[in-house]
Amino acid sequence: MATVVVAPVAGRNRWFSLLPYVVLGLATVPILVLYVWLFYSSFFPRIEGFTPIGGFTLDNWRFLWDPASVPQMRNRPPIIPLTINTFLFATLTSLISLLISSMAGYAFSRLRFKGRRTFLGGILLLHSFPSVTLLIALFVVLRTLGLYDKLVGVILVQTAFALPFGIWIMKGFFDNIPWDLEMSALVDGAGRLRTWWRIMLPLVKPGLLALGILLFVEGWNQFLLPFVFMPSGSQQTLSTLVRGILGEGRFVDYGLLTAVGLYYIAPVLVLFVLAQDQLMRIYAGGVKG
Amino acid sequence: MRVVLEQLSKKFGDVAAVDAIDLEARSGEFVALLGPSGCGKTTTLLMIAGIYRPTSGTIVFGDRRVDHLHPKDRGIGMVFQSYALYPHMTVAENIGFPLELRRAVGKPERDQRVREAAGRVEVDDLLDRRPAQLSGGQQQRVALARALVKRPDILLLDEPLSNLDARLRHDMRGEIKRLQKEIGITSIFVTHDQLEALTMADRVAVMRNGRLQAYATPDELYARPRNRFVAEFIGTPPMNFFPAELGSRNGSFIARAEGIEVELTRAQLPHGEARQATMGVRPEHLAIVPPAEGNVSGEVYVVEPMGREQIVDVQVGERRLRVIAPPGFAGRIGDRVGLRVAAERLHFFDPTSGERLS
Repeated sequence: MATVVVAPVAGRNRWFSLLPYVVLGLATVPILVLYVWLFYSSFFPRIEGFTPIGGFTLDNWRFLWDPASVPQMRNRPPIIPLTINTFLFATLTSLISLLISSMAGYAFSRLRFKGRRTFLGGILLLHSFPSVTLLIALFVVLRTLGLYDKLVGVILVQTAFALPFGIWIMKGFFDNIPWDLEMSALVDGAGRLRTWWRIMLPLVKPGLLALGILLFVEGWNQFLLPFVFMPSGSQQTLSTLVRGILGEGRFVDYGLLTAVGLYYIAPVLVLFVLAQDQLMRIYAGGVKG
Repeated sequence: MRVVLEQLSKKFGDVAAVDAIDLEARSGEFVALLGPSGCGKTTTLLMIAGIYRPTSGTIVFGDRRVDHLHPKDRGIGMVFQSYALYPHMTVAENIGFPLELRRAVGKPERDQRVREAAGRVEVDDLLDRRPAQLSGGQQQRVALARALVKRPDILLLDEPLSNLDARLRHDMRGEIKRLQKEIGITSIFVTHDQLEALTMADRVAVMRNGRLQAYATPDELYARPRNRFVAEFIGTPPMNFFPAELGSRNGSFIARAEGIEVELTRAQLPHGEARQATMGVRPEHLAIVPPAEGNVSGEVYVVEPMGREQIVDVQVGERRLRVIAPPGFAGRIGDRVGLRVAAERLHFFDPTSGERLS
């Protein structure tokens, strides 16, 4: 009797549970097509619509081993230093932001100091502030400090933009750690700094990883700041190269563009695939005991 | 080392969580802070630990005033209700953490003391595990070892048994008591469970609404509760209360309540001029007898067999009295029974202030 009743319900549930997959799958198709197209067209001389013209070739990837033969690459710094710049930029901004976010997030989560609420409010406000509006002011600041057109300057600016989000996220992770653990560390003889380092930081490791990856990707993808604040060649990043190829001359070499583009996004794609689990936690949050 | 609290108070905003507490724990004494939730017992403990700063009052360890010192400088070990083991460290690292922070203790000595502390609470075979791989009882033991490894002067325990199941709680009760006496360390523990307080502590401080209600040995709390709150809080099932009139007849003192009339002994004579009182009698000091033979008679309301004894609720007039009866009692609901009151075990309290009258 029971099975007779249960079976159809279970059947309907199964169809129901498939629904999200169908909807999300359909929504993903256009994005997926774009990636496939990107990949595909970097290995053919030309593409019309989705039809490749000519045979398979590595010609578009020449910029890696023979940049001199690619006209668009001639007036630019070589690809390897550009890649290193981009890597340095992304790594340093994420590391510095991580350090500051995790210390500030801890302080906001655990300490009751004067102006705490004001600071927290300010952080939210800054987070929602469009960075474009600050460009001119930042330009003046960087010029005054002698950091204009230098990688260090852009790293500082990018870090500053990343901090509100980082601090807020880290505060959330610290909030989830039971007070008992901290009290226990204090009774055991640890000071604030050591409690933070030995007890709290290891417990927010998932948060640090997730935030670090997000910040790295953000730095890697950052275009506006390097473009505006490092106009001369030697310290540019990959994003400005892509923009350069796109904007140069009347004809855009789509083969080259897709190859460089693919080269540019590959590390991020790999990182995302490797770090999916960590990234999920930034929204799931919390300590596992 | 003795612990002295003088006029210790803690306010959170306008709320006085702890209100002018005076308390002394003698060296080597095991003291329980007992009270319902929100009575300020944990706040008191956290002030002793140095985690909360007192709003006013002093805390003295030995002869040294400590209320301005950081927790790490107070020479205390503490076990938390949640055990607060560090989830990312092994058992050995957890126990060793307090020593890691002491430069004077080298690595070989640390390892040896960790093993010694772990051995003392019988977790020396679990040293490589992580807290998540331990049962509640094992976590509790590890927390104890961590609290004791630096050989503190004072041991603090916050609801140490409340996260354990009933069986384990019983075992740990005895073990903690035994350990405390073996080491001879002054210990203060917080509990809401009167049974825990009575069975483990040398002296029990009963708290309510931030104030100290009584501070006495378990025997005294039971035999001569200082006020009605303490009388009601200590003992299971709780004491029966009813309004009584006190008067004299033929030269002897008489208490009359709900048709019960008993002659009082000299020691029970209430101080002062009180004529009205709240009379209290514990369930174990009422005996069920045939209807005609007791001080009063009533009807059995319900019987709860407990194995070793039975709890019988007896309806007497408007009031229901709880009585402990021997397992042989075969009364049924609705049966008429008599109740005999052990007159020398009666308690009298002021009906308004609740203070003990004799």
